[in-house]
Amino acid sequence: MSRTYVLRRGLQAVGTLLVIVTALFFLFRLGLPDPTVALVTDGLSPEDRAAVRERFGLDRPLVEQYVIYLGNIVRGEFGTSFHYKAPVAGVVWEKFANTMVLMLVAIVFAYLLGIPLGAYLAWRRGTRTDTLGIVLGLTFRSAPMFWTGMLAVLLFGVALGWLPTSGMRTLPYEAANFFDKVFTLDFLRHLVMPATIIALFYLGSPLLIMRNTMLEVYGEDFIEMARAKGLPERDVLYRHAARNALLPVITQLAVTIGLAAGGQVVVEVVFSWPGLGREILQAVRTSDFPLAQATFMLMAVLVIAMNFLADLLYGALDPRVKLR
Amino acid sequence: MTPPGNAARDDDAAARDAARPRRRARSRYLAQALAPLRLVFHDRLATTGVAILAAVVFMALAAPLVATHDPRAITERAEGSWITLGPEGWRVRTAIGDDPLYGLSVHGDGALAVGANGLATLFDGRDWTPWPRSTTATLRGVAHGAPGAIAVGDGGAVVWYGGGEPRAWQLGDTDLHGVAWVDDGRAALVVGAGEAVWHVPLAALEADGGDLTATATRLASPVGRGLLLRAVATDADGSAIAVGERGLALTWSPADTPGGAGVLHQLTLPTFRDFNGLHVDAASGRALIVGERGTLLRREGLDARWVEDPPPDTRALRGAWIGPDGRAFAVGRNGVALAFDGEAWRRDATGTERHFRAVAEVAGTPVAVGSDPFVDKLAPPSSAHWFGTDHLGRDLFSQNVYGSRIALLVGFLGAALVVLIGTNVGLLAGYYRGRTDTVLMRIVDVMYGIPFEPFAMILVLLFDPSLLIVILAISLLTWRTVARLIRSQVLSLAERPFVKAARVAGASDLRILYLHIAPNVLPLVFLELAIILGASIIAEATLSFLGLGPPQSISWGGILHNARLSGAWRTAWWWNIPPGAFIMITVLAVFFISRALEVIANPRLRGR
Repeated sequence: MSRTYVLRRGLQAVGTLLVIVTALFFLFRLGLPDPTVALVTDGLSPEDRAAVRERFGLDRPLVEQYVIYLGNIVRGEFGTSFHYKAPVAGVVWEKFANTMVLMLVAIVFAYLLGIPLGAYLAWRRGTRTDTLGIVLGLTFRSAPMFWTGMLAVLLFGVALGWLPTSGMRTLPYEAANFFDKVFTLDFLRHLVMPATIIALFYLGSPLLIMRNTMLEVYGEDFIEMARAKGLPERDVLYRHAARNALLPVITQLAVTIGLAAGGQVVVEVVFSWPGLGREILQAVRTSDFPLAQATFMLMAVLVIAMNFLADLLYGALDPRVKLR
Repeated sequence: MTPPGNAARDDDAAARDAARPRRRARSRYLAQALAPLRLVFHDRLATTGVAILAAVVFMALAAPLVATHDPRAITERAEGSWITLGPEGWRVRTAIGDDPLYGLSVHGDGALAVGANGLATLFDGRDWTPWPRSTTATLRGVAHGAPGAIAVGDGGAVVWYGGGEPRAWQLGDTDLHGVAWVDDGRAALVVGAGEAVWHVPLAALEADGGDLTATATRLASPVGRGLLLRAVATDADGSAIAVGERGLALTWSPADTPGGAGVLHQLTLPTFRDFNGLHVDAASGRALIVGERGTLLRREGLDARWVEDPPPDTRALRGAWIGPDGRAFAVGRNGVALAFDGEAWRRDATGTERHFRAVAEVAGTPVAVGSDPFVDKLAPPSSAHWFGTDHLGRDLFSQNVYGSRIALLVGFLGAALVVLIGTNVGLLAGYYRGRTDTVLMRIVDVMYGIPFEPFAMILVLLFDPSLLIVILAISLLTWRTVARLIRSQVLSLAERPFVKAARVAGASDLRILYLHIAPNVLPLVFLELAIILGASIIAEATLSFLGLGPPQSISWGGILHNARLSGAWRTAWWWNIPPGAFIMITVLAVFFISRALEVIANPRLRGR
């Protein structure tokens, strides 16, 4: 992997982001109603409306607004949310942290469980266990999360009363910062259900990829070689085959994490989790341009960055892959 | 690479070329299309998937035949409902048959209820014992007393239960609504439509049945407006009160001479609203009249004034009961049950939308009976509604059946669109390479940078939700994977000898692309079609669940959206479970099929 490749792909990523940001800017401005109409229900006088529009710069030509917007992004300013009347960056970071703590826990669990299970299924290929594992993995992936979430709430929240069913903490609570909020037993109790629902959904992906690549690797000469050396089957499985089969799983992990910020809106909705996905829905509904744009941009940045990382990892981990 | 000119070929060859390759190409397409089929039917899971998918497709196509109800129709149900008041409040009891109950009269420790189709049933405080029916008319009023029981109903129907078989009589030809014993049980006072008030001697009832009109006396009404009288009750002093629509109230006084029918006077009450129900506690003289819009008129004793109580609920009240200690109950439509504790009225929860017609305290337990056709809301699964009903009383089984239509429509159209765009982009990029490839693949890169779910949501929010925009939102991004996959395949195919041969033979670019290369990527296209189909179904369900689905349509996600929105999903499990199970089974079937097809993309998986 040459330095020029990294540089070229990096530039490409920035270009992609620019296209997305531009498309989104115009899509929102042209597609959404004027925020002074959408936000104010009791009706502003024409003068007041003009004043508000001037204050937020909404009265200027669209292209000028766009240039100002790009300039602000470069300087790291994302504006003020119309709805929260607060800087967008603060709002977005808080929701982002809320989403990521949920998604990362779920994804990590899914992969920690899925990888060894996938390897095991490959080892037991063609048996009933194998079929059962595949069917289970696919079943979790085909069940929509809003449905499994609702059933979990119904069973563990309403019927059995074991776990809280909404939010991140029992209200009211006080927390000085994010870590204060998260490192409590109460938070864990709130986390269990949504995280499990997401983890089960994601489980199928590492499970099936791992199983398939293991089967591919089994056909390779070096496995034959390891067996010929008289190594125990377990060593062949875990030390030789699994390490090589991990590669696609790891790139898949990077891509999955990239998509995590976009999150699972439905899970956030079902469990009233104050995350980024619910925020963007709300922002678009109320024509809160700065918030919607910043939220979507953050999601896109993460996706692009992790896709980029996945590419680099692929090249770094597999010497056979030549990236030019 | 420029194809050689056509001039090099003679006419003969050109004619052959025109006829043959098309046939050959067609058979090649066919063979390639059939190859995946063989794969699918060699895999047990995939065969299961095909069977399930076929069943769902059948369900969607034959939805009107499979569904038991109109999925949008609000279903109504009539039944002989009764509820009792216990320490935990009102409790809905198992209905007694399908005929609604209209009247309830207490005598001693028992009560007699009458209803539609001539129903009369005796309540002993625990169980109901139906009496043989002697009429099919709707019985609306009943008086249970020492001499026996008398019920009156539509079309002048009168039934006398005096021991032995009930006897049916005819009294006039107008609808009769209320009846009460007067003259110490020697006569019954019957009231009904057209201000009809009949004085029926007991002796006349004890004959064999037939026409009572001649033996009974119809009393002249002092009002004479032809209004409907709905209820009558005996008062503490041996007189009687009858009430009806538009505030009509009459008092009946017994005749001075034995054998006379008595006289009627008009009674002016504090309101002119419709009165529906009346009860007088003959011992204490306390009385209660109920009527439309929560009308509650109460009298503390025989000589006390009638006072209008402020109602806690303004829906129509139908049935009234007041006890000797001043406690009272009133019931009405939509499960309204009011109770008076001596000081104020309050509304009690009944947990039902059934309509009640009468209420009384039987052996110490308050009992209310109804119910005219009521909206069967949130009914658990039953033989009439296999998956129960929703918050508007719509049949959920039918909704689930029709829901398959949107899922499959969006799924297949979306997948077809994705595959169409993706395959063509992949073919063009892979075949032409160079600048075409760069431009197309940069577009694909941009597509890869957009998170799918938020983007689809935003797109639907920006435009008004419609079937088209939902399909577009789902397919606008997902073609990226197909394009990449097909492109890489085409890149290698384009170097194969048969492509070069075609080019040398003078085939045009389009001909090579679509007749020579495309058939070879067809199996891959099928694989992608299956994968995207599953994804599209889930995406549509997700959008619908968020309330962003095609409007005015019934879909599985939409059913769950309604359930969440109504708030009833926490109790109505029958509402939540089926739609998600349908989504899961359908998508799982598609996954099973696509798994078998993966062998095409990766032949090393063969024989696993």
